[in-house]
Amino acid sequence: MRGQPPRHPDDPKAELSELEGTIADASALKPGDRLVYPAQGVCVVVGPETQEIAGHRLEMVRMRREEDGAAVLVPRGKVASVGLRRVASAELMEGVFHYLAADLADPELNWKIRHRDNADRMVAGGVLGIAEVVKGLHALSRLRPLPTKERGQFDNARHLLVAEVAASLGVSPGLAEDLIDFALMPPAGTRFKLKPPPKPILLPSRPPRRRLVVDDEGDGLDDLGLDELGIEGLGEEAAVEGGAEATGDAAEGDGADASEGVEAPVTGASPAQASGAPLKLVPALAAAVKAAVKPAAAAKKGPAPKKAPARPAKAPAKAAAKKASGKPAGKPATKKKTAKPSATKGGKKK
Amino acid sequence: MIRIATLSPLDPTDTVALVKTLRAIFGLGTEHVGDLPLPRGGAKDGSWDAEELLAAAGPVRGVADDKLLFITAAPLTLAAGPLGAPPSWGFARYGGDRALLTLDQMPARGVTEASIEAWRRRLAREAVHVIGHLWDLHHCYDVRCAMHPSWSPHLGPAPDSSLCTFCREKSERKIRLAKS
Repeated sequence: MRGQPPRHPDDPKAELSELEGTIADASALKPGDRLVYPAQGVCVVVGPETQEIAGHRLEMVRMRREEDGAAVLVPRGKVASVGLRRVASAELMEGVFHYLAADLADPELNWKIRHRDNADRMVAGGVLGIAEVVKGLHALSRLRPLPTKERGQFDNARHLLVAEVAASLGVSPGLAEDLIDFALMPPAGTRFKLKPPPKPILLPSRPPRRRLVVDDEGDGLDDLGLDELGIEGLGEEAAVEGGAEATGDAAEGDGADASEGVEAPVTGASPAQASGAPLKLVPALAAAVKAAVKPAAAAKKGPAPKKAPARPAKAPAKAAAKKASGKPAGKPATKKKTAKPSATKGGKKK
Repeated sequence: MIRIATLSPLDPTDTVALVKTLRAIFGLGTEHVGDLPLPRGGAKDGSWDAEELLAAAGPVRGVADDKLLFITAAPLTLAAGPLGAPPSWGFARYGGDRALLTLDQMPARGVTEASIEAWRRRLAREAVHVIGHLWDLHHCYDVRCAMHPSWSPHLGPAPDSSLCTFCREKSERKIRLAKS
């Protein structure tokens, strides 16, 4: 049989076909109507009501949740958008049972996709969407125990399904649950004559998440007042050049040289920057540089400004010197080892 | 408090064992209130409709939030759904105060100590199951949990009578929120 129905790739939400029994207009509601409020359960319409909230008179529809009698108030204008729908018909419910009893070969294994889709199905999928959540998580539970969050989601979905089956078939919730599990886990030797299950619910497509990049995110150095300090080498280009050189040297040397790292500029490590792409400082780093530069700006008014050496330029010079001296690569590492005698003595201090 | 009423004779030692188990699992006072007669009429083809029997079972004196468990040996039936009628080991008013358990589906009690012990464990498991429904517990997918469906093909021959962590915590929450 089919697996979990895929999320609809292209259609925007507005173009998806409406679920059976969706309430489009508040005027269609009459006192005593039984409705399903998504993710809340079966409610009974009490009647229209006017309430004054924050100085505004609002026309509301008052409902009562059948499960515990909780009051639910929906503004008349939002009846269509909250997804209120009538209790599923007996024909649709029969299709749901045939879906529950069918085999499910491949539950979604990616928990992020599964959890997101299941949450959407419970809100916008109607009774079949809830049944898909129950069946999908039940099939997964046969493979491995569900994580705590999905265990709760499974219980919520089951609760909603039991309530709607009970309301639709006119049976008690206890019997409705037995009927659901009879379809999901039939006793040994039981065979059903199944009809083709209904079509899967099409979920609204979600645009992929994109990281917002602010245009002047990397231009924080313009506001630092570096020109007033007479610092010319700390421009973007100088930093990139130094980084590129350092990266090139590190790439030429062996692994120990490359991992020496403390003095080599980290900003020059990316190949994009080495190829001349503009350097972008994260805001936190820019703020740190600004804070470090402020005292120097205050001292500028006194003696003649000294030219601060560009820090990234250190690394290429040092790397070149290292190359020229031809020292073995592992030497700095051995120095570090000898520098920590107390650590090797197991914490004994004299 | 959980009160047990028997609609069919039950061995006193079995009743004592059941009371102890229920008290340990739910952390609530449990007592056997006595034997009650099976209501007359209502049986069709020798079996009772579970909902009708539960409604017709005699009144038991108690207080608010008491949970009543009726135990009978009569076979029970449930109304059929779109795919047929499920086997009935018992019936409970979900979130309510009354539950019914039948011994008809239980394995034979036997005469050996081992078989009697296994029978008592199964009785306790089914009692925990139907009383769990009274605390709003749904069926659980965990085969080691007492809330797993009694007819499930995945259930072992000697299922445990304890609840899984999720069901136990949920029932404890409900018990704490009870008015009394």
